[in-house]
Amino acid sequence: MKFHWFHLMPYPQLPENFKTDYRSVWVDVPSSLFDPKVGHRAYNEYLDELEYAESVGFDGICVNEHHQNAYGLMPSPNLIAASLARRTSTAKLVVMGNSVALYDPPTRVAEEMAMLDCISGGRLVAGFPVGTPFDTVYAYGKSPATLRDKYYEGCKLVLRAWTEPEPFAFNGKYTQLRYVNVWPRPVQKPHPPVWIPGGGSVETWDWCVDNDFLYANLSYFGYIQGQKVNDGYWATVEKKGKEKNPYRCGFLQFIAVARDDAEAEKLYSGPASYFYSRCLHVYPGFAQPAGYTSIATMRAGIESMVARAANRMAVEELTWKEMITRGYVVAGSPESVRQQLEVLADKMHVGHLMVLCQYGDMSKEVTMYNTTLFAKEVMPKLRYKFSEYEDKWWPSTGLAEPATPAPLTAVV
Amino acid sequence: MLTSETLRLKNGRSWHVASGGSGTPLLWLHGLSGVQKSDPLVAALERKHRVIAPLAPGFSDLAEIDEIGNIHELALDYDDLLEHLRFEGGIIIGHSFGAMMAAEIAAHFPRRAKKLVLLAPVGLWNEKYPGRDVFAEPFAAVESFLWHDKAAREALMARRSNEEGPVNDAERLIAVAQSLTAVTKFVWPLPEKGLRKRLPRIAAQTLAVFGAEDTFISPRYADDFKRGLPQVQTAVVKGAGHMLPYERTEEVAGLIEKFLAA
Repeated sequence: MKFHWFHLMPYPQLPENFKTDYRSVWVDVPSSLFDPKVGHRAYNEYLDELEYAESVGFDGICVNEHHQNAYGLMPSPNLIAASLARRTSTAKLVVMGNSVALYDPPTRVAEEMAMLDCISGGRLVAGFPVGTPFDTVYAYGKSPATLRDKYYEGCKLVLRAWTEPEPFAFNGKYTQLRYVNVWPRPVQKPHPPVWIPGGGSVETWDWCVDNDFLYANLSYFGYIQGQKVNDGYWATVEKKGKEKNPYRCGFLQFIAVARDDAEAEKLYSGPASYFYSRCLHVYPGFAQPAGYTSIATMRAGIESMVARAANRMAVEELTWKEMITRGYVVAGSPESVRQQLEVLADKMHVGHLMVLCQYGDMSKEVTMYNTTLFAKEVMPKLRYKFSEYEDKWWPSTGLAEPATPAPLTAVV
Repeated sequence: MLTSETLRLKNGRSWHVASGGSGTPLLWLHGLSGVQKSDPLVAALERKHRVIAPLAPGFSDLAEIDEIGNIHELALDYDDLLEHLRFEGGIIIGHSFGAMMAAEIAAHFPRRAKKLVLLAPVGLWNEKYPGRDVFAEPFAAVESFLWHDKAAREALMARRSNEEGPVNDAERLIAVAQSLTAVTKFVWPLPEKGLRKRLPRIAAQTLAVFGAEDTFISPRYADDFKRGLPQVQTAVVKGAGHMLPYERTEEVAGLIEKFLAA
């Protein structure tokens, strides 16, 4: 089993009255609430935390893309990944990812990701999300009726641009290019592993299985609620006759490790409550625009993660105890967390576990503590899982002799 | 009462077209609720006209709009239908997105319309009075804010469930989602797709009617239509929201008949 340290990069100083006096953390959250001085500190501490995750043995460090969002300060995950590429050397850079349909032409994504793969010496995992409606439809003004179609076409173009050795013309429905010729090219051959973050669209399961992409179920509501989506995904894998390899699936889980339950509550209940009550305070009208969710998915009755967040305003009132019993946060002593994650891994059949050890307004100090305990006392005891399977969704062809950043000393 | 048939055009495309009544032909382009069997305004129009009511592409099957890339291609599709129907120099009346389409048809193909009635027309954008974003509301809430007169809404819903049987709530929401999807493709993220520039192309005598209480399409858009289309007559119906044809049916029907008779 592999472990990845995921950062959402939340704005840490949303006001106390945010829930009552503002309508949404996303899309139309007033940018006057953003203090660049707070932003400066947050970005730098968050980068420290991601870099620290490598040093304690995480396999991957994850960044993602959100727009006009006060709980996700990464409109460009590639900028963050570029910074990480220089300050890390072994952890894979899991960019979860670039919303391909937002870029015209989508070859921009192929270029930037190829740069990341080159700079990092072949450590990139290329995530291609459709993107939430908040990001794509409202913040970037893309039509929900054509978003998914444009996304499929863009992904195909990116993969082709990475693999075809000669310039080619592309006559798509959404993109027309006379000369597709991406410089640089990725280190990994034929291309970096492709991960698709999803929230329960039936079309995404088919898309992942048909193309052997990893499906990453990114839920903020833990492994108990996330089970239904994973069941749907694995049913699709079986139906299509593919190997039920746990490494073709990823899952995101909030983590809170401490010496005991009491300490966990003391350290993490505040940040978790900040996350569920302020960061998930979204306007329901932005959650499910017409056309974003297909009629088939609507009929299947599986709401997207964000729609669920919006529809369950009760989430904002959760107590710490409820967050734990519902599995939103896996909390407790290292042994207790290990036991819960054994259940998660077995029931959900997940080979790639992404963990959120920082959330809400959690301080760097507490984040490091959570991360350290997880890495030293939980992770090693779960590593044995799924060793009988081959992980075909992971960078493997890195450079034998990668370059090392030069020291910052003057050469006279 | 309208009866529906499926027309297959030379180009292979199918249209669901309902029709009823007798008299001068009149093209009715529906709003967000599609073509309904019991539509009080259509019933009023049927007294003097043969009402022809095509179902907008996408409303019965979203696959229909896969290959319709933009408003111009959609206008061409309507033109193909009107050619098939031999509809020329006629009366075109539309509501909401249907009114946007009516204006676009008349602007793209001026010979198709001699008289044009636009009821709460979508299609222009003025940042001074943008109106509520109908596409950023939960489906269940969309319908209700389009209405100002809630009693009129209850009455119409009761009438429909009497005539057509009870409605399954989940299916009703899916229908709303599908209708909105069918129109979003042509109005996202703002509904102005060049109609302002094309308004002077419209040759038809035009009446534009607005609901005084419409929070989606402000009655102030009357001024925007006047600027591009000097011959337009405008009217504002008091006590009505965006669903004015169903909130003040007799008054709207009266305005239309008066305009057509002139």
